[in-house]
Order: sequence, then C-alpha cells, then structure tokens
Amino acid sequence: MQTASLAFRNLFRNTRRTVLTVMLIGFSLTALIVFDGIMRGMITLMVENITGTLTGEAQIHRVDYRENLDVDLYLDNAAQIESQLQQDASLQAFAPRVISGAMISSSYNVSAGLVYGVDAQLEKSISKISEAVVEGAYLSGEESELLIGISMAELLEVGLGDRIVLTLSEVDNGELAQALFRVSGIVEFGLRELDENFAFTNIAAARRTLGMTDQQTHEYALRFVTPLSLTDSSSDLLNELNNGEIEALNWLELNPEISLILEISRYSSLMIGAVLFLLASLGVINSMFMSIYERIYEFGVIKAIGTRPGDISKLILFEALFIALISCGMGILLGAAIGAYTSTSGIAFGEMEFSGISLNNAIFSEFHIIQFTQFPIYVVLLTVIAAIYPARFAAKIIPSDALHKSL
Amino acid sequence: MSAVISTTDLCRFFGDGDETQVKAVDNVSIEIERGEFTAIVGPSGSGKTTLLHLIGGLDNLTSGSVNLSGTNIAEMTGTALSDFRRDHIGFIFQAYNLIPVFSAEENIEYIMLLQGVGAAERKRRVAEMLAQVGLEGLGERRPNKLSGGQQQRVAIARAMVSHPDIILADEPTANLDSKTGIALLDLMKELNEQHNMTFVFSTHDDKIMSRASRLIHMLDGKIDRDERK
Repeated sequence: MQTASLAFRNLFRNTRRTVLTVMLIGFSLTALIVFDGIMRGMITLMVENITGTLTGEAQIHRVDYRENLDVDLYLDNAAQIESQLQQDASLQAFAPRVISGAMISSSYNVSAGLVYGVDAQLEKSISKISEAVVEGAYLSGEESELLIGISMAELLEVGLGDRIVLTLSEVDNGELAQALFRVSGIVEFGLRELDENFAFTNIAAARRTLGMTDQQTHEYALRFVTPLSLTDSSSDLLNELNNGEIEALNWLELNPEISLILEISRYSSLMIGAVLFLLASLGVINSMFMSIYERIYEFGVIKAIGTRPGDISKLILFEALFIALISCGMGILLGAAIGAYTSTSGIAFGEMEFSGISLNNAIFSEFHIIQFTQFPIYVVLLTVIAAIYPARFAAKIIPSDALHKSL
Repeated sequence: MSAVISTTDLCRFFGDGDETQVKAVDNVSIEIERGEFTAIVGPSGSGKTTLLHLIGGLDNLTSGSVNLSGTNIAEMTGTALSDFRRDHIGFIFQAYNLIPVFSAEENIEYIMLLQGVGAAERKRRVAEMLAQVGLEGLGERRPNKLSGGQQQRVAIARAMVSHPDIILADEPTANLDSKTGIALLDLMKELNEQHNMTFVFSTHDDKIMSRASRLIHMLDGKIDRDERK
C-alpha cells in the first residue's frame, strides 16, 4: 500500500513528463479505438456493397458455370428450385438471372460486356440495380428495355432511347443471335467494372434471345432474413441445395479474394495497434528511465535504508500502472467522444474503390464494448510490461554507485 | 565491551590495471565497540565514504570481511542484505536524502512500514522521534518546506526510529552552516548517550571532530591513526 501511495505521488513530481507520457499512451489508445471503429464501419460498408450491389448474400448455379460463364450450363428445373426457396423461412428474397457474354453495339461503337436478364420486381429485393438508375427508368417488364452502365453509354455514345444491338450465342446450339433493344435507363454503381461492362434487361427478353425456356436459369441470387456476415456465413439452405449438379455458395465463397481482403482489414487494427503500442512502449521505457536517472540518488537512499530490490521494482511498476490507468481514462473518453461523432455523422471519403469494392458512401464508425474494455486492458498490460525493464534496472541499482552519481 | 563493527583486511579497489587501479580502501581492519561515537576523518579522497559504504553493505568489497553484530555481511546479497540494513543499520547522508513526496512524518515512518510495524506503534514512535529531534509540529511538512538543518534532523529521526544497532552518517553536516552542524552533532551525541547506539560518521570538519570520542584518521585508503579520547 505504501509502495502504491509513493508511486502515485511520484507521478506528480515531474508533472510535465507524466502528462506527456499519459498523452502518448492515451492518444495511442484513442487512435486505436477510432481506427478500429472506422475499420469495422468500412468492413460493414464493404460487405453491404458486395452483397447489396449485385451479388446478393448467396448464389445458386450449375456446377462449373462460374468458371467460364458457359451459357450452356444452366439450371433447368427452375420451378423446383424456386419452390424450395419459397418454402425456406431463413430466406428473405431471391431473384433468378440469365447471364450471357455479348457484343453490345450502338450506331457508333462496339463493346464487349455481360448482359443480365433479371426479374424486374424480384431483383429489387436483391440488388441495387433500380437504385443505380441515374437517367431514364428502371425495368418495367417491356420487351426492348435495356439498362447500361454509364461508362458503357459514354463509350457507345448513346443516350436514352438510342438503339443497341446485342449479339450473343444461343444456348445448346451455339448459333449467333441478335436482338434490338433501346436504352431505357443508364445506371451508375460507382464501381468501374459494373459501369463499363454490364447491361441489364428483362429476364423474358434475355431468355428468348438466348433460346432458353422459362424453366431455364443461370443463377439465383439470394438474400437471407439474418444476413450472412463475415463471421457467420453458414446456411443450412445452402448446404441442402448443394449436390453434384448444383452449387450454392455464400458471398464469401463467391469472392474468396475479397474474403482475404476483409480478413486482412479485420486484422489491420491489430497491426496498427501493435505499431502504436510499440512506439508508446518505447516512450514509457524512455520516460521511466528518465524518471529513474532523475531520482537515482533517492533510489540509492531508499535502498540503503532497507527497501528490498523487489519493492523498488514494484514502485516502478506501480508508477507505470497508474500512468496506464490515467492514460486509459483519457483515451477512452476521447475515443468515445470521437466515436460518438463519427458513428452518427459518418466520415465521407468521397468516391473510393478499395480492392474492387466500391466505397462511395460515408463510413459510419462502429463501436463495440470490446474497444473500451479489451483495448484498455492491452494498454495497461503493455505499459506495465514495458516498465519491467526499467524496474529491473532500478532494482539492481547499487546504493553506493547511486549515491556517488548525484553527489 | 563487544565489537559491534569489525572489519578484517577490508579492501575496495576500483579499476583493473596496476597503473589505473585506485585503492579506495586498502587493508583496513578496525573494531568499533557498542555505544562508541566514532568519527572517520581525513582529506577528500582518503576513503572515508567508501569505508562507510562498505561497513553499511552499500558497496561490494574487493576482499576482506565486514562483521556487524557477528554477521559477515560480505556474504549477503539482495533481499537478505536489504533486510539486514533495514533492521540493523541507520543511515544519514549528506543532504537531500528524504523522499520529497513524503512529509517529515511519513519519511520517518517509511522504514517501520518496511519492517511491518503496526500503525499505532508507528504513530507513537514517530511522535517520540520528532520530539527528540526538536521538530514537534513540523511533522506534516514536506522536505522542501524544511530548512537544511531540519531535514537532517528528520534524517536522524528516520535513522534512529527503527532502533538499529549502528548509525552510519556520511558527512552529515557537510551542507549545513557550522552552527547548525555543531547543534546537529550535539543532538547525535545526546541520542548516542541516551540510547547507547553506535554512531560512526565521516567528516573533515575540525569542529565536528572535537565532538567524537574516537577519531579514525584515514589517508590514501589506509588507517593513518586511530585516536581515542
């Protein structure tokens, strides 16, 4: 108790140094809390953008379809699959899609791209196609409607109402087929790949052009009642659907490279934290050594009069502990204040693409109890661990050396 | 009378080579009886402080032995040596030797806390010591609110409060004016006579030397003369 009391009082002997050390550790904790909050917000936004833009939370295809988007590898039992999907309570919505690579031609230019035939109504619950319309109107079910990406529209030099010819291969026989469409809307997702290469039409028109029946579909996109998150992406429905012919994959399995990026993002807080606290720990060590050298005569005296080496170590460790606790108080308060602001007002980074994932909305920081409990515990532990070296040094001081040094 | 301090062929050398080696204490053998009021005197660099540090177990000796109350402290290290110093030796240093964040009372009390003395007993002994060194009413003051002489009185109280066998004082009056220094020595002498504690202090002040009952003169690390009054 006496050691703790002495340690606490010692903090105020050189207030400036104590304040600077507290600020160093406290700001590091604040930075870590805020950074982690932003990273969590960014991951949530990335996941929302991945699953919300076009992919959905899961997809169903014929096995091997995804390798080359081979139009011949379609699901030919749409009614049976849809019946199963409709009966599953875990599913919020699903939408069938017919997909084909196509030559997309205007009067002025030609572009290669992917044409999606979608169910206009069902698709609204799955993707952001309807929200991405910046000119014209979303699909209404009319025969010749076509939505194209804004960059593709610029390349093809077309606007609303202009004619577009799609040239593609029919399923099964591989015969070239052509169909005339008119631009009914221009979409902008804010994601280069989608805006340059994608076109959307009604599923009936797409099936007809490809020579498919209404029981034939390339893809089902799914959305669940409880979203498949980064940490919990398992689904009984997907497990049931998977068989030798059909593969049902969640969004993480569909985008393994994104899964890796998100994993790295999740651990970035750990890496940033490690760097921050390595620097803060060096600051603590430096501060403690300055403090010890400043009081070396005093350490000589208290050791001479009978203070055990272990008690001198404890004194230094208590000082570090108190500095860490004060720093945590400051860091938590500041982190909570900044967090409260950034989680409600958001941080607008402008239009940004991160590893192919569009981040054009403001990022709202996310704060969890872990940031205000575990992080401070790490800070306290690291600070005390950082003080072990100076504490051992102080404990080993030879009284006569210490007494000579300051005389 | 029994020897409370006994050194045999005590040596403390600094440096390795023959040319650079400094023999701070060179083959010193002394015996100091219980209750003696001994001054180690000599010019600067004669080895007074080093000898005191060796007797107090504050420095590592090169060779020889130091026996305090029959215990060879040269064989002790770490916690055992700390505990021995705490229970058997009181130290008074030149100056600025109090813990600045503690009040005078807390400085005196500190060593008893290390010894695990109960709160009531600590309070009683602190009050008693403050009265003995003439600092009643000043116990709550921190060192920076006390004069140099008052600080040394607190240091004396701290050294004596645990009832050690020996009190070692390294130039206790060096930073004080001569009047205060003499008054302090008189106080030490009085306490020495009252409690029959063994006092060993170093000095090079002639006025201070006159208060000592025994003068051990040192020169170049050796005992030049041992004079009993």
